[in-house]
Amino acid sequence: MISLRGITKTYEVGKEKVEVLKNIDLSVKAGEFVAIMGPSGSGKSTLMNIIGCLDRPTKGKYFLDGVDVSGLKDVELARVRNSSIGFVFQQFHLLPRLTALKNVELPMIYSGIGKKERRERAEEALRKMGLADRMDYLPNALSGGQRQRVAIARAIVNKPKLILADEPTGALDTKTSRSIMELFARLNEEGTTIVVVTHEPEVAKYAERIIMLRDGEIVPGEDYKRGLGQ
Amino acid sequence: MRLIENIKMALSSLFAHKLRSFLTMLGIVIGVGAVIIVVAIGQGGEAALKSKIVGSGNTIEVFYSPSEEELRANPNIIYQPAFTEEDIRILESIPEIKSVVASSSTYGSVSYQGRETDSTIFGINESFLEIYDMKIASGKSFSAGDFISGNRVCLISQSLKDELFENEDPIGKVVRIGTQPVQIVGVLEKPSGIFALGTKDIYVPFQTWKMITGKSDITQITLQAASPDVIQIAGEKAAYQLNAFHNTEDSYQVLNYESLAEVIGQITRIMTVTIGSIAGVSLFVGGIGVMNIMLVSVTERTREIGIRMALGATRMQILTQFLIEAVILTLIGGIVGIFFGWGVAEIFALILGWPSLISWQVILIGILFSMAIGIIFGLLPANKASKLDPIESLRYE
Ligand SMILES: Nc1ncnc2c1ncn2[C@@H]1O[C@H](COP(=O)(O)OP(=O)(O)OP(=O)(O)O)[C@@H](O)[C@H]1O
Ligand SMILES: [Mg+2]
Repeated sequence: MISLRGITKTYEVGKEKVEVLKNIDLSVKAGEFVAIMGPSGSGKSTLMNIIGCLDRPTKGKYFLDGVDVSGLKDVELARVRNSSIGFVFQQFHLLPRLTALKNVELPMIYSGIGKKERRERAEEALRKMGLADRMDYLPNALSGGQRQRVAIARAIVNKPKLILADEPTGALDTKTSRSIMELFARLNEEGTTIVVVTHEPEVAKYAERIIMLRDGEIVPGEDYKRGLGQ
Repeated sequence: MRLIENIKMALSSLFAHKLRSFLTMLGIVIGVGAVIIVVAIGQGGEAALKSKIVGSGNTIEVFYSPSEEELRANPNIIYQPAFTEEDIRILESIPEIKSVVASSSTYGSVSYQGRETDSTIFGINESFLEIYDMKIASGKSFSAGDFISGNRVCLISQSLKDELFENEDPIGKVVRIGTQPVQIVGVLEKPSGIFALGTKDIYVPFQTWKMITGKSDITQITLQAASPDVIQIAGEKAAYQLNAFHNTEDSYQVLNYESLAEVIGQITRIMTVTIGSIAGVSLFVGGIGVMNIMLVSVTERTREIGIRMALGATRMQILTQFLIEAVILTLIGGIVGIFFGWGVAEIFALILGWPSLISWQVILIGILFSMAIGIIFGLLPANKASKLDPIESLRYE
């Protein structure tokens, strides 16, 4: 599903070049549930953005579903994001002036789906997230957990193969975090590949595999899962 | 993505900032309104001027202005009658001339039962009323016999009627021009339009005029050409024949009203374009206002743009979204401006008695133009929005 080969990302700050990601090799198989952990500033979000086709690597190749996306144009990357990837962010990133339902409809607007089908699918996604009675609420009128569930509904509504969540529980309490992670686990059982960035071992527990990043490099070793006490 | 989605999106974000959208639109409303008002008034004025000048059409005015030499040879020449009945016969023999309108006028007193007022007394021939498009408001016009036998009949203007008769019916009453009695057969319609002064006039057949005033000179001749195509030739022939008959060089001249109207038309058009361009500056300023607000809006909505891009919006779709927002802003402003300008132009037309000249073409051009303003001034902000980096935008606070 995801195959990163020698991915390097450098930023130029003033005259200095900062290597944020250093020669990353990473593969994620279809249907996997992967967590990315690591200290602050280690490059987790940068890596997620590259996987999510929001950013391009400075060097290296990225194959998504066998397609070399590092060579795609902006328009094609937008298509990939729209149809193959669902994003979930720490700050939810809902549009404040749109109701929950309209927020969930957004990705389908960009894929040119008709009004009726859009509404039906958005309602279905919200129902699946347990928000049947909150469809016409504005984000402001929803709790943090509810907002994140709207965001997840929006992420899955175009039926992507891959869901990327960058600290999805970072702004939520423990109990709500757990219910959100249950949702991810359920989506993963249904076959969606999930990559989650997190600081919390509690959250990482839901993943089948944990990747540790430190200073832009993957820390070798495969037994983090066990290390977390499972 | 469909246009309708874009339009809905644009409307909802314009609605989110009602006051701001309204004020931005106001610039366009005023700009478009001002241009429409100037164009409408310009065109209306031109049409009004032309119709007054051209009258019923195809007319040529004949002038007698003696040259320096003639004046030196005979200083009294200016007191002599300008035209004679012989001249009229010469002019009538020119095939390109359909009719010759001759008239004379003096100033004198007109009285009715002790009431007396000063009035212009016109002696006219048969074609006069038709050429000058004068209509009878009450009573009847002259008959052919009135002109031939010089019957003592007259037509009076509305103002003269008001002066002498007030509420009395003047038809059939006898008024005196000086001491000479004439019977009123009709009252003329009040002239309309910008040159309508409502003067006190009394019209009698030319033969009658000669009897009453004891004069036989014709002070004014107007020719009517057989068709618009021969106006030029008819005028040239008339001047040539009169000069030849009187053995003068260039004392008899003609003025073709069609060409005069054309010149006046050109002048008013230049004025319209000039003032219109000045009004256009306000439209330009309005456009800059739109650009300004759209730039603010793009900055404010940086995060929204980032989210949309993350969800799969292409740069083109972001550009289109903001462009359509700008176009809707100017389009609504433009439509309101058109109606505003239309209303004001209509009021002007009513006051000045001009035709109102808002055509569907003007409306269509106005609409297309305001959309064009939206595209031109929306392009920069929309382009800026589409060039944003999605990651930076998502992080924007
Ligand atoms: N646009 C940029 N220009 C320069 N440096 C950048 C830029 N974006 C990120 N960085 C740097 O890259 C490094 C990695 O950032 P990143 O956001 O990927 O960290 P992270 O692992 O997600 O951290 P956190 O856990 O705090 O979210 C940081 O040191 C950051 O300063
Ligand atoms: Mg991060």
